[in-house]
Order: sequence, then C-alpha cells, then structure tokens
Amino acid sequence: MLRLDGVHFSYNTEGQGIQDVSFELKSGEFAAIIGENGAGKSTICRLCNGLLKPSSGTVTVAGFDTSNAKTSRIARDVGFLFQNPDRQLCQSTVREEIMFGMGFAGVSEAEERCSEMLELFGLDGKKEPFGLSRGERQLVALASVLAREPGLMILDEPTTGLDYMECTRIMDHITRLNENGTTVLMVSHDMEVVLDYAHRGLVLSGGRLIGDGSVHDIMRDAALLSKASLLPAQIPALAVAIGGRFIDIDRADDMASIVEAEANALAGDSRGEF
Amino acid sequence: MGGLLDYLPGESIIHRLNPLVKLILSFGLCVSCFLSDSIIFVLSVIVINILLSMMARVFARTLLVFLSLIKFSTLLFIIQILCVRQGEILLNLPLGLYITDKGLMFSLLFISRLIAAAMPLSLTLSVTRVVDIANVLVSKLRLPYKYAFALTAAIRFIPLFSSEMAGIMEAQTARGVDFETKNFLKKIRLLLPLCAPLLISSVRKVEGSAISAELRGFNLRGGSSGYKQYPFKAVDYSALCLCAALVVVSVML
Repeated sequence: MLRLDGVHFSYNTEGQGIQDVSFELKSGEFAAIIGENGAGKSTICRLCNGLLKPSSGTVTVAGFDTSNAKTSRIARDVGFLFQNPDRQLCQSTVREEIMFGMGFAGVSEAEERCSEMLELFGLDGKKEPFGLSRGERQLVALASVLAREPGLMILDEPTTGLDYMECTRIMDHITRLNENGTTVLMVSHDMEVVLDYAHRGLVLSGGRLIGDGSVHDIMRDAALLSKASLLPAQIPALAVAIGGRFIDIDRADDMASIVEAEANALAGDSRGEF
Repeated sequence: MGGLLDYLPGESIIHRLNPLVKLILSFGLCVSCFLSDSIIFVLSVIVINILLSMMARVFARTLLVFLSLIKFSTLLFIIQILCVRQGEILLNLPLGLYITDKGLMFSLLFISRLIAAAMPLSLTLSVTRVVDIANVLVSKLRLPYKYAFALTAAIRFIPLFSSEMAGIMEAQTARGVDFETKNFLKKIRLLLPLCAPLLISSVRKVEGSAISAELRGFNLRGGSSGYKQYPFKAVDYSALCLCAALVVVSVML
C-alpha cells in the first residue's frame, strides 16, 4: 500500500527534513510514527500523499510514484487528517463539508454516503462547522475524509487538544475502519494512544528511522525511546519495572493483565511456589 | 521560506542607520517618484534601491521583490496601455484597440513609479526590526503606542496570514482539490470557499494576540516604557541630507 525507499527530503531554509528513510506498509496495517519534535514525522506524512516530493528516493502509494503523480489524484486513495481541523473545513454546513471531498473523488452515491457518515458520527448536517466544539470539528474533518473510503488513512496527530472521550470516539472509528481493511499511518505524541490503537511503531529521531517493530516491543525498549526523547506508555513501563519479580507480565499492555499476573504471583507466593 | 517583508539580520551601514532615518529615506524615495515626471529619474530611483540593497547585502531579496513587482506590473501595463487613447497611434490591434505613444510613455512611467515606490518599503523592512520601527515611532515621533503597535502588528501578520493560507490550500489539496488548473475562473471558484477558514483563523489569531497583549500590560505602556535608545549619528544626518537632495532634484525635473 505504501513504500518508502531511501527517501531523503530537505527544506530549503528551515527544518532538517529526513534522511534515508525506508519502510513498507502493507494493506490493513495500523502503524504509528513517533519521535521528538522536529524529527520529521509530519514531513513523512506529507511525502506519503505527495504534498512534498522527495529530494531523492521514491515514495510509492497505492501504486503511484508520488514524484510523478498529482496530490489531487493521490487524494482519491489516500485520506489525510490534519492536526488542525480548521484548515480542512471550508463549507457552510456539516453536510456540505462531508460532500465537498466526495465531489472531487467522483463518488456517485455521495448523498447516501454523507448521510451514513452523519449517522455514524452523530453529527447534525445542518449545523455550521465553525460553530462546533474542537472535538466535533475534528469529527467533521474525519467524516469528510472517511466518506471517500480511502484505502490508506494518514492521521497527523489526530487527538491533539481533544479530551479523553473525544479522543476515544475518534480512535474507535479509526480502529473499526482498520479492522475493515483500511491501512492507517498515524503520527502521535501520545504514547497511550499509540499503545492502545497502533500495532506497529516507527521511531524517528533527527530525520532518521531508528526503530521499526511492534508497538509492544518498542514500548519496552527504553534506550530506543530515550534516543527519540520519548517516555514509554505507563502500563508497559510499570510492567517492565515489576516484571523482574512477577512472571508472565513482561508482555502486559493493560492494567487488567498486570493485576491478573500479580494476583497469580501472589497466590503462588502464598502457596510457597514463588 | 521567509516572506518578502521579513527582517534579514546584518551589520551593514544600512542596518545600522537609525530606524526613523530609514523610514524617512524610504518615504523620501517613494515621494520623489511621484514628484518627478521624468521616467529617467524614476528608473534612477529603482537603481538607487538596488544599490542600497547591495550595500545592505539583501540583494537576493530585492531581486525577488523586483521580479514579483515586474509580474504584477506587466498586467497593469497591458491594461493601462490599452486604456490610454490620446497621442499618435503606434500600433493597431484587433477589436478596435491600439497603442499610442502617450499611452506607452504613461504606462511605462506608471509601472516604473509603482516598482520604485514599492521597493523601499520591502528594503526598509528587510533591514529594520519591526519592534525598532514601533519604538522609534513612539519615542521620536511621540506616536501613541497603540497606533505604532497596530502598524507593526499589521506588518507582522502578513507572513502569518500567508502561511495560514498556504496551510489551508495544502489541506484542501490533500482532500483532492486541484489548484493547479489553468482555468482562471475555475481557480477563483476553488479559492473562494477558502476565504471562510482564513478569515475565521485570522480573527481567532488576532483576538488571541489582543488578549495576550492585554494580559501583559499593553495599556500600561507609555512613551518612556522602551529601554532602547535611538540616537542620531553623523551617518544618519548624511542620509537625511541625501534624501532631501533627492526630493529637491525630483521637484526640479
């Protein structure tokens, strides 16, 4: 679905860009790009849908080499959700907003799909998008992207500025989409969101890809995360911290499994097995 | 990439001129273009602008400004030359249009003035910090700080709005909008809806800045609040004399 081969990109005047980044994302994967500020996470997102063209190397997405394809064409197969929804919204009602993207994608059953999206996200189509709360505006932006049913979704910090419920609502929709086969590439600073939703982690630092593996393993690699100025999510950190004493919890990713492992260990203790 | 009005740091003699002198020099160059009807004089002012930018080591920026103005001026030149009907006909065109000698001279003078008058503004902002302009307007010209701040905020917001517009266009491109169309009317139709998000984000930014300034004691600031002094030196007086001489020459020509 998405392949980067030895991609270099540099900005003319500011920003360090990225150097020699290579990875491949297969259909149905859910990957998260993590790294310090200025590591090049958003640059990779923009390279993936042709908003930026690589200085060298190739970016292939949905069969297109982005160096030769127009972003407007790539956009038919690649949905992009920006951190700031206000840059995406430009219509006078929520319904028009959702229909807007579909018009360019050549979707015939636009009306029908728009109604589906409104129902799915619990939005009022007659409302004015700029009068909604930040979370609702992000939902409208997401709905307008999802309405086109893209094969690849790129999410540039989709949960920034959202409260827990709004964040969960948006991420649950994206997870359902991923379960139905959509490939997802997400940038996030929130390690809890990354751990809860993504399956694969790509760690960037100083414009270079320094780690690529399952989120589960990356969260336990304190040295790798430290290189990217990151702290692991709390649950794996706790699991690693107490894993030396309790058996079977070093791969725990949620509180329930830690408690269960601890209970088992304590029960073993009381029976004199530990 | 920085905007055409951003400050470029440097230690040249132009950079070190008093900000007020730079403003007066800039104003003098603009006014002299409109006082003189000689195209040779106006072209000389453009050359002076270029020489000053070379002295300030911001020639690359000036060249960019110059080329941008040329593009804009070409459109105005074409409209202007076709609208002036007086004078001897030099060239007959289809649809009853023609070019006259007076039209040609007037259009050349018009766009030369436009270029010569716009270049000093860009040059002044390239070699002067906006905050210095505000300070000197308050301390030397006794302009109320509110007005000086409004002026500098307006200048500061130009690149911000430009970058916001670029971001909005990028977001729309990612949604499948093709702004690269050659059809001018279609392009306008695509750009028009973007006015709403630009306006809303601009108003939000301005409102945020106003509240932030208010919370940091904006209204307490007076003429003597600035700690930086802007004394006049010999080089400043020399620059003012040269500026005055230029204005006098423009009146005589």
